[in-house]
Amino acid sequence: MIPRILRAGRPAVLVGGALLALAGCAADAPLDTLKPQGPISRSIDSLSDPIFIIAGIVFVIIFGASGLIWWKFRDDHSTDEFPTQIHGNFRAEIAWTIGPAVLMAAIGVFTLFGHFELNGEDRHDIVLNVDDVSISWDPEILVVGQQWWWEFRYYFDGLDGVDLSDPRHLPPADIVTANQMVIPTGSEIGLSITSRDVIHSFWIPALNGKRDAVPRRISPWKIEADVPGFYFGQCTEFCGLSHARMQMQAVAVTPVDFQAWVDEQMQPAAEPTDAAAQRGLAVFEGQCTRCHVVNGVNDPGKGADLVANAAPNLTHLMSRTTFAGGIFGLYEPDGSLNRTQLEAWLRNAPAEKPAYAEGRRGMPAMGLSEGQIDDVVAYLQTLGARPDMEVIAATEVHP
Amino acid sequence: MADAAAVDHGHGTGTGLSNNKLLMWVFLGSECLLFGGLISTYLIYRSRYADGPAPGDIFDIPFTSVSSFILLMSSLTMVLSLSALQRGDIRNNRVWLLATALLGSLFIGGQVYEFTTFLREGLGYTTSPFSSAFFTLTGFHGIHVSLGIVMLVSLIISSFRGTLTKERSETVEIVGLYWHFVDVVWIFIFTVIYLVPSPTS
Amino acid sequence: MSDTIELAAPGRPLGVYTRPRGNTGWRDWITTVDHKKIGILYGATAMFFFGIGGLEALLIRLQLATPDGTVLGADTYNRVFTMHGVTMVFLVIMPLAAAFANYLLPLQIGARDVAFPRLNALSYWVFLAGGLFLNMSWLLGDSPDGGWFAYAPNTGAVFSPGHGMDYYVLGLQIMGIASLVSAMNLIVTVLNMRAPGMTLFKMPVMTWMILVVQFLLLFAVPVITVALFLLMFDRNYGANFFNPEMGADPLLWQHLFWIFGHPEVYILILPSFGIISEVIPTFSRKPLFGYPFMVFSGIAIGFMGWGVWAHHMFVSGIGPISVAAFSISTMFIAVPTGVKILNWLATMWGGKIKFTVAMLFAFGVVSMFTIGGLSGVTHSVAPADTQQTDTYYIVAHFHYVIFGGSLLGIFAGFYFWWPKVFGHLLSEKLGKWNFWLMIIGFNMTFGPMHILGLQGMSRRIDSYSPGFGFEFWNMFASIGSFIIALGVLMFVINVVTSARRARHEPPVGPDPWDARSLEWFTPNPTPVHNFDELIQVDSLDEFWHRKYAEDENGRVVRVASAEEVCQDGSATDVHLPSPSYWPVVMAAGFPFVGFGLIYTLWVCIPGALLILMAIYGWIFEPTDDPDGPHGHPADGSSDHDGAQAPSEAAGETVEEAPVG
Ligand code: HEA
Ligand code: HEA
Ligand code: HEC
Ligand code: CUA
Ligand SMILES: [Cu+2]
Repeated sequence: MIPRILRAGRPAVLVGGALLALAGCAADAPLDTLKPQGPISRSIDSLSDPIFIIAGIVFVIIFGASGLIWWKFRDDHSTDEFPTQIHGNFRAEIAWTIGPAVLMAAIGVFTLFGHFELNGEDRHDIVLNVDDVSISWDPEILVVGQQWWWEFRYYFDGLDGVDLSDPRHLPPADIVTANQMVIPTGSEIGLSITSRDVIHSFWIPALNGKRDAVPRRISPWKIEADVPGFYFGQCTEFCGLSHARMQMQAVAVTPVDFQAWVDEQMQPAAEPTDAAAQRGLAVFEGQCTRCHVVNGVNDPGKGADLVANAAPNLTHLMSRTTFAGGIFGLYEPDGSLNRTQLEAWLRNAPAEKPAYAEGRRGMPAMGLSEGQIDDVVAYLQTLGARPDMEVIAATEVHP
Repeated sequence: MADAAAVDHGHGTGTGLSNNKLLMWVFLGSECLLFGGLISTYLIYRSRYADGPAPGDIFDIPFTSVSSFILLMSSLTMVLSLSALQRGDIRNNRVWLLATALLGSLFIGGQVYEFTTFLREGLGYTTSPFSSAFFTLTGFHGIHVSLGIVMLVSLIISSFRGTLTKERSETVEIVGLYWHFVDVVWIFIFTVIYLVPSPTS
Repeated sequence: MSDTIELAAPGRPLGVYTRPRGNTGWRDWITTVDHKKIGILYGATAMFFFGIGGLEALLIRLQLATPDGTVLGADTYNRVFTMHGVTMVFLVIMPLAAAFANYLLPLQIGARDVAFPRLNALSYWVFLAGGLFLNMSWLLGDSPDGGWFAYAPNTGAVFSPGHGMDYYVLGLQIMGIASLVSAMNLIVTVLNMRAPGMTLFKMPVMTWMILVVQFLLLFAVPVITVALFLLMFDRNYGANFFNPEMGADPLLWQHLFWIFGHPEVYILILPSFGIISEVIPTFSRKPLFGYPFMVFSGIAIGFMGWGVWAHHMFVSGIGPISVAAFSISTMFIAVPTGVKILNWLATMWGGKIKFTVAMLFAFGVVSMFTIGGLSGVTHSVAPADTQQTDTYYIVAHFHYVIFGGSLLGIFAGFYFWWPKVFGHLLSEKLGKWNFWLMIIGFNMTFGPMHILGLQGMSRRIDSYSPGFGFEFWNMFASIGSFIIALGVLMFVINVVTSARRARHEPPVGPDPWDARSLEWFTPNPTPVHNFDELIQVDSLDEFWHRKYAEDENGRVVRVASAEEVCQDGSATDVHLPSPSYWPVVMAAGFPFVGFGLIYTLWVCIPGALLILMAIYGWIFEPTDDPDGPHGHPADGSSDHDGAQAPSEAAGETVEEAPVG
């Protein structure tokens, strides 16, 4: 499968946005709320821009009046007389009650239109071709927040009839990935947002506003991107210790590349061939499968030894470009593995990203020997298709 | 302190109510929101009984109706005790105060009985959101009734010490306000919890 | 203290204990029931906590000054911002408002004291106990870390297993008692104890706003009380109110919190609106423009404040219809608030404005609050808020309304009433430094947060990576926060040096500002007994109308000097309520109960004993120390004896209220 994805070349947009941003040479504000990159966020923007302008006008009026008062009505000590004593003016009062009320009513009408349009439900199915079988996908991705990373579960047959009542025991999905959500451009993607523990908030500003992830609630949301690229996001509801480090990216690719990505993700992990990786697999099976799932190695339905009952699915780890809540680059800018960071993570994860490991929230320090770490890294490198590094430089980070 | 009585009776105050009585009114206004919050919580959770008993399975409506009736009657005796004191009839005042306190205690006794029965039938405080909300709401009400009983008993003691006289009838009136309020709240609670058909499992 | 408590000889009707005597020294401060002293205590305590909350703010800014900050760890940062928010809201702005309410409200309505002086003392001591209890969590190493709005289930036992949130729950619960008691007390005071002739519509706007605030407190505090109880039962006794595992809905907490929380923000702002409604007319030398509209808009804000709470929950998934309804209702709050802003401008318009420091601060409120209000309106547009919420754009909004509205207004009040309270003026020169440093620092700190928020910087993040474009403005804001600190320092210096200077200067005259309302009838500083004799009120701004009249051309002419109008404070035979031990004793019990509930129930026992003992002592306390010096009012007026502690028998119910 790997060659196929590389042949397509373009999935390499999966890569590196994070790295570039971290290196400071990309667009300067990847979370900017004023640079919409899709129809949904654009319509929010076109609603808020006039409001900012109206607020600006009121601001100018009030500050203009204040300025005039400041300069004109200062006591210049020229006389000792009192100014004319005015107790009020009924008409003026009525005017500045009605005036703002009418203005607010007008804003209200536009708000209502915008609001209901944004919350309307009109989506088209996407037809995908996986392993030569066409799948009609009413796009539906289940977004699951937990301390402090995001899981994205793709259900190609939609969520109708899928029992989501217990977010900690979710039915198997077609694709399960973490922190980077790959979507096709040009389609409105339906999201269902929930949480396995506390409240989080899902937010990719360039594609739409926020929606909270509330345990035991399934909140509908949607995103759409115009063009391929990386779209940054951040958990915005305070969710405890590492709230700041609970980030994510949407990776928009063309429908063709998306197809390729889906093909690749549907494959289980391959048997490792080289000796180090085989030793790594043994360690992994001994220590890591208690939480992590690798399709084909252990059973996804078993759950994890964690409060949230889930850890990132690692089957296609290498196809992602970030890890641990989207905060670390998995690759160096030159395309090589970011081995230092990955090893540090395996050595002592809570030191890299604060967690309450002893409270079964977050990945604990695994106490692996350096040799074991090397082996595990060798094994992890066999997991998933590695994106093409050459295109990194051309990758755009939006907005 | 010649003028204390004047103030007690609210002459010369802005509202015509004495400070003490107005304080009680204001306090009861605040209590409305307290019970409002608890009742709303109950309403939200009445059908969330998890694996525990559902409200419809467990309530004994005839029993609670009787104890509600008892509590209602205590409002009547409270009125009687006040009017006795206002007439200067110290003896009847005591009798009715005592009756009120006893009826209140009977209600509390009924509640204790109800709680223990529920516990036996598997509805613990931590069983489900429904059970937590139920016990919290009725428990808060029970505490209010109990505090009222404490006030009534203090009044009775004060009466036996000879300090609860006709001039001081406003004190009884104020305690009465509290007592009636607690009763009225119970009518709401009773309706919401028991009379509105409850979900069954 | 107990050595002065002695059992009275048998036979004394209900008076079991004697009351403390005298009014000098620290003992007096502990036992005082004088609304003025209690006001000062409130103010001083709140300013102390302002130092702590400000220090926490500076730590936040230090941590965020540079990307990947390392000043505080993630854990400490979360505790610091939580305590910063809680401290500033509950231990600074609210008690500062209470300070003004306590000191000024009885004076402004021409009363001798509040309706229940002992309950008033109780409010203060319980507030202090709660504040200290909450901050004790720093010393015991486990302060709250769930944010000031403490969303469940993150604050439940599973996700917040330490004791931090217990301090939050119990601390706020204790302070809730204080707010509630004081709200009830002040409502009764305003409704029942106004000077003869002072109808409701002759009350100063300040008094009105305080009254509205007390009603908001009266109805809002019980709601958070419920929320805190539920959370406490969840955490400590395994209840299931916020436990999704058992099918509970975490949004219940948000609803309860914000049904309290939104009225709360008006609780924070209205006192300041009241203050500047006194300051602006005085220094513009014109009456307040549109008095009835000012009053009604204040009441309208109070009412509408109840119907908008879910604008804090636009993205929580409450459903499009609810979101639409709350979005629209929120917008309309701009109308009554706008009426206020425009009326202040109209008051100043055509005036002859003296830009004293008090006036500068008031002017600052009008302009800075407007900025915050306008960003509030941009949040009220629900779809726009899905981008704004939980970013620094919100942080900018609420600091503009709270700092730029509430706090600046309170500083205006400080400068304005300082002579009333302490008998000397604050230095205008240092005051100007104070003002300009604060206003510049404030705009430097919070202005850029609008930009940061729109650039996507989230709230409550302990650090941010380089590359998101946040570096410059964060550094800028952090510098600004230290300029604010300098401004605050100027205030502290001003307080100290002015007090020093005043020692060898003659006291300030009776009417330093040519003011308008009743409190200025009393000499400066206010004597213990407030008014020598009651004032017959004939008009709004009675004090001013006794000094000035209009001649036949409609020109204002002076008819009496301030000295002639003011009382000289010489009355000696005014009957005053005696001090009492019991408020402080009762308050001391609460932290014990709190610690007991957190650590081990045994500790509750001394707490409960203290409280019970205090209730008992309180009820059976004689109205007066029978041996103490007191006289009876010369004018024979009876109305204001109502200001005394409740009479013995009535004690029964009155005392029950704060406990039940
Ligand atoms: C003093 C406290 C105070 C005050 C007075 C206000 C006033 C207002 N607030 Fe604010 N608010 C807070 C304190 C306050 N707020 C706090 C602390 C939070 C955050 C809590 C948290 O999450 O931690 C918050 C959050 C907050 C939110 C939630 C944001 C979010 O988290 O997503 C919203 C949303 O609608 C909002 C709106 C408003 C509005 C519309 C007003 C209005 O009352 C403002 C009205 C004033 C004006 C509009 C200006 C003057 C008017 C004119 C000059 C007339 C002409 C104007 C027009 C016609 C537009 N506020
Ligand atoms: C109510 C009023 C109030 C006030 C006055 C302030 C004042 C300040 N706040 Fe406040 N702030 C809140 C209420 C307030 N805040 C709330 C409710 C939150 C939300 C919390 C949450 O999310 O849960 C918040 C959150 C908040 C944040 C966001 C934290 C985050 O989301 O991660 C920031 C960040 O910059 C901040 C900064 C400041 C600063 C710099 C000041 C400055 O203006 C402070 C100026 C004061 C000083 C600098 C004191 C100077 C005095 C001395 C130096 C003398 C020391 C003396 C002694 C110790 C006796 N605040
Ligand atoms: C007790 C549970 C637990 C165990 C055991 C565990 N992990 Fe993890 N792991 C987690 C959690 C939780 C995360 C998500 C952490 C975060 O992002 O905050 C994680 C994240 C990771 C990630 C980053 C995944 C991504 O896409 O973000 C890798 C790689 C990883 N773990 C590898 C391992 C390896 C290898 C082992 C065994 C040696 C291991 N883990 C053992 C819980 C565990
Ligand atoms: Cu998850 Cu914040
Ligand atoms: Cu609000």
